[in-house]
Amino acid sequence: MFKVSLRSLLSHKLRLALTATAIILGVTFVAGTLVLTDTIRNTFEGVLSNVDKGVAVQVKGATPATPSGRLLNQNLPLPESVLARVQKVSGVADAVGVVERSGVSLLQNGQVVGATDHAAMLGLNWVSDSQLSSFELTSGTAPRSADEVVINARAATNGHLAVGQQIQVSFEASAAQPFVISGIATFGGQASIATEGFALFTLPTAESLLEANNTFDVIDVSAQSGVTDLQLRDRVASALSGTGVQVQTGAQAASETEQNAVTDINEFIGTPLLVFAFVAVFVGSFLIANTFSILVAQRTQELALLRALGATRGQVFTEVITEAALTGVLASLVGFLLGILVADGLIHLVGSSAKLSVQPDALITSVLVGTIITVIAAALPARRATRIAPVAALREAQPEFQGLPRVRIACGLLLFLGGTAGLLQSLFTATATSGPNLSVLGLSVLGIFLGTALLAPILVRPVATVLGWPARFRGAPGRLAGENARRNPRRTALTSAALMIGLALVTAVAVITDSVEASINQALDGTVKAQLVVIAEGSGAFSPEVASTLRADPRLTDVSEIRGSDVLVGDIETNVIGLDTSNVSRIFSFSMTQGSAASIATGDTTIVDSTEAATENIHLGSVVTMTFPNGDKVTMTVGGIYTPDALISGYLVSLGTLNPHLTTARDSDVALNPAPGVSVASADASMLNDLRAYPQLSGLTKTQYKNLISAGLNTFLNLIYVLLGLAIIIAVVGIVNTLALSVLERTRELGLLRALGMTRGQTREMVAWESVIIALLGAVLGLAVGAGLGIALVSSLHSDGISQTAVPGNNLILYAVAAALFGIIASIFPAIRASRVDILRAVTSE
Amino acid sequence: MSVSQTAPGPPPPPAPPAPELVPIAARTVGAVKVYGRGETAVRALDGISADFVSHQFTAIMGASGSGKSTLLHCLAGLDRLTSGQTFIAGYELGRLTDRQLTLLRREKVGFIFQSLNLVPTLNALDNIVLPLTIAGRKPEPGVVEGVVQMTGLADRLKHRPGELSGGQQQRVAAARALVSRPEIIFADEPTGNLDSKAGGELLAFLRKAVDTLGQTIVIVTHDPFAASHADRVIFLADGRVVQEMRSPTADSILAVVRHLGD
Ligand SMILES: Nc1ncnc2c1ncn2[C@@H]1O[C@H](COP(=O)(O)OP(=O)(O)OP(=O)(O)O)[C@@H](O)[C@H]1O
Ligand SMILES: [Mg+2]
Repeated sequence: MFKVSLRSLLSHKLRLALTATAIILGVTFVAGTLVLTDTIRNTFEGVLSNVDKGVAVQVKGATPATPSGRLLNQNLPLPESVLARVQKVSGVADAVGVVERSGVSLLQNGQVVGATDHAAMLGLNWVSDSQLSSFELTSGTAPRSADEVVINARAATNGHLAVGQQIQVSFEASAAQPFVISGIATFGGQASIATEGFALFTLPTAESLLEANNTFDVIDVSAQSGVTDLQLRDRVASALSGTGVQVQTGAQAASETEQNAVTDINEFIGTPLLVFAFVAVFVGSFLIANTFSILVAQRTQELALLRALGATRGQVFTEVITEAALTGVLASLVGFLLGILVADGLIHLVGSSAKLSVQPDALITSVLVGTIITVIAAALPARRATRIAPVAALREAQPEFQGLPRVRIACGLLLFLGGTAGLLQSLFTATATSGPNLSVLGLSVLGIFLGTALLAPILVRPVATVLGWPARFRGAPGRLAGENARRNPRRTALTSAALMIGLALVTAVAVITDSVEASINQALDGTVKAQLVVIAEGSGAFSPEVASTLRADPRLTDVSEIRGSDVLVGDIETNVIGLDTSNVSRIFSFSMTQGSAASIATGDTTIVDSTEAATENIHLGSVVTMTFPNGDKVTMTVGGIYTPDALISGYLVSLGTLNPHLTTARDSDVALNPAPGVSVASADASMLNDLRAYPQLSGLTKTQYKNLISAGLNTFLNLIYVLLGLAIIIAVVGIVNTLALSVLERTRELGLLRALGMTRGQTREMVAWESVIIALLGAVLGLAVGAGLGIALVSSLHSDGISQTAVPGNNLILYAVAAALFGIIASIFPAIRASRVDILRAVTSE
Repeated sequence: MSVSQTAPGPPPPPAPPAPELVPIAARTVGAVKVYGRGETAVRALDGISADFVSHQFTAIMGASGSGKSTLLHCLAGLDRLTSGQTFIAGYELGRLTDRQLTLLRREKVGFIFQSLNLVPTLNALDNIVLPLTIAGRKPEPGVVEGVVQMTGLADRLKHRPGELSGGQQQRVAAARALVSRPEIIFADEPTGNLDSKAGGELLAFLRKAVDTLGQTIVIVTHDPFAASHADRVIFLADGRVVQEMRSPTADSILAVVRHLGD
């Protein structure tokens, strides 16, 4: 039987190539993702293993905790006195304090230089003990005076900066200070820390510039020979006992950093890419299932002959499954190799010189995924093959036309309804803090897709009739195409279903982004009364200096700082926003359900959004305890409850209430209005003029802000198009495959039509129409399911401020048109084949 | 796919030849068809010249491999000759492009094959009017009804081919061949897969089409009884016409077949 499989496989090279394409594309995505994440991780681990080798013990500040022990994921700064105490511990060779804070920008001629996308750099003090430092100068010298800075090699290349050059440095948009580049350095041999740049200063400069106020963020300790890291850690810990600071060995600290890095890589790169890879593979499985169904149908006579000659059902099943498994393994191997190439290409594309890391795990996962999916997809067709009666060898295959088996309808309904229920359940029972259960959500969507695919054959007849209706005006080709699309509803449905998945996901995302945009616009038009706003590019926080500068401008008024802080409210980690109460009514108009927004002007009073209030069971007059990053625990009274929107939600207090608990005051936004009698345009011009000293910041009018949001969402949508593009390409390959096999199956019929006077052009047109009908069926299903998914998701976010549900009609029309175009493209190759059937062979071969 | 030997260009329709005393629907002159090359070459047609007079029913007979199907295919514009000429309605097929040939088949030629004649997705009526649909023409009033009447299939028109018997399917195919009122209908062993009753019905139908509608029909058959429905029988052997017979009977045909078989 194995021989039969192999021979059957090799004798149909085209069929093999088409089936394999789906698996290859899917596995390429999977393998590419795995190799890419392995490579990034490996590079990172490589860097970390070179770093801080000489650090025996590391001391970090205490972590604020709630009374029940819940930790805020932030460390308090270490007072300078701790360093002196550590240095006195016996066995300590050297101990140095390090200030390290993100938010540094290099400026030149009023422009941010050296960083991509205005991303902030890490600022640190230069540590001269090479045992305790992983920074190495590649040129120049260490910073020796207050105005010298060492920058990372990547920034130097990006910004065309060289040793000896004048430059300005600003920390979180504080006033820029002049510096001279004294040197250029690498970190663990790398031009930057992952993608983050860095700037190194003398300790006093770092302390003042980075506003460390005589504190350190970390103390690194080296050991005298003969003292183990563990011994030293225990000694340091006991010397510092009672202060709450954290003491770890260098190895522990390094593995913690590594753990965090790996988690980040998985969370931000690996997992999302794998989700899309899975979608591609899932779509591919439809193609495979369909191909094998068609093959089984076409080989009915051959398989029946095998049965007639005495092959058992088991042998027939094994025959089909073996063919699938062989295809799966071959295609997965090819996909894996292509995946390596793709990963390599991507790494080069982002300008990295990282060495590709190809792990056996990636190979095993890729081949397993590809093969298992293929075998599962082929299982149903293979089962159908076992049901072929030996007498079928003597019968002519007839078009299906018959109704669907009840079991299939029941399964389809069960999956669809179960999926819908699961989706709604996971969305609407989700709490603000934990979010929906993603595995339930994913499985529910999977169920909806599978259910729709199973039920789709029912829709083929009506939809093909409606969609085929315009085609009828094209005479015989359109007419016959409609009949052909309907002659085998399962085949048409399964082919469409593959396209449905990609389009449904695209549609859902489009509905979500459009709803988010509409909700933000509504919030801007409703809640936000300020005409102008200042934000940091790269959305960092910035110095209160900016607000002071703007306040001094007579053409501007109501300059209000918006200041955020992480906070633990009870045991829940969230953030609190401080508002300027003096003119809050001219900046925001909250829609209060209880109490008043003005209540926050009273000290230690907060207002909270109604969703949070409902989930946390908070009422007007309730008391909540907030734990701030500096360790302060403050009891606040709830003075009001407001309806959240897309821009503002959570706990709001006055700046006066917030400020005492902040180590450094940093604004996330500044909102303002034109002074009375000043037009928005001239106020805007004036604001931009004031902001010339802060190139990291953008001053925007409401319209500009809307455009910025819209552009950001569009970028996101485009990214989704690219990521789902592969799933859609696979679906298009599926249409090609189905049509090509159908054309093969209908050789005689096509020959007959040609003999009766159908021209080649008409024949091509007929195949194209059939393809368009299949694609449009996929589009109809995809748009409906996608809009449903999107609306469900958006509705579940209503209470979180996504109050608007917007279905982007233009996009949907665009997708349908695109689908029809894909249909035409998919038909090119099968149509040419169809128009070239040998009429004589077709009408004479028995 | 061989290409016309003559210069390509716009549809030439060569001028129909001068009117003859007896109108000719199809004609072949010195038809030679060679399959393959060199040692394995087969001369399926070896210089056949024949006229097919309009409104006549012609049967082509001959032993297996004598070239009957080949001749029919070349006459019908489904295949091209190696040398020689064939004409339908005055057009020389060898001068037509593939597209022109297709249009000529559509307008001037009807077919009945031995089996699998029908498009399985279309019901009987749609199959019957298929040539008109392909041509984008509307049937002339009464023609479809008339033809359907003749086939005796009026109550089965909404059935798909899978739901019809072999004989019924062949009658649908015959009705389809008739409905566009082609210059000539070619049928290759149309009764080959039918029992004698169904075969008889089909032949009676074809005969009636010649008699009442003036249709020109050429069939290939091995069955002397079938051939006896024709006005004329042409006998082939090794790609040549070896005998002709007018107003044949089953017995006279059988005699020739026996003789040729010797
Ligand atoms: N495509 C082809 N390639 C090679 N040889 C062919 C081809 N078609 C037919 N022949 C040969 O040409 C000769 C005539 O074949 P043809 O099919 O015309 O015979 P026929 O009279 O129709 O026979 P039958 O009664 O068996 O149908 C035969 O020797 C056959 O083998
Ligand atoms: Mg023959």
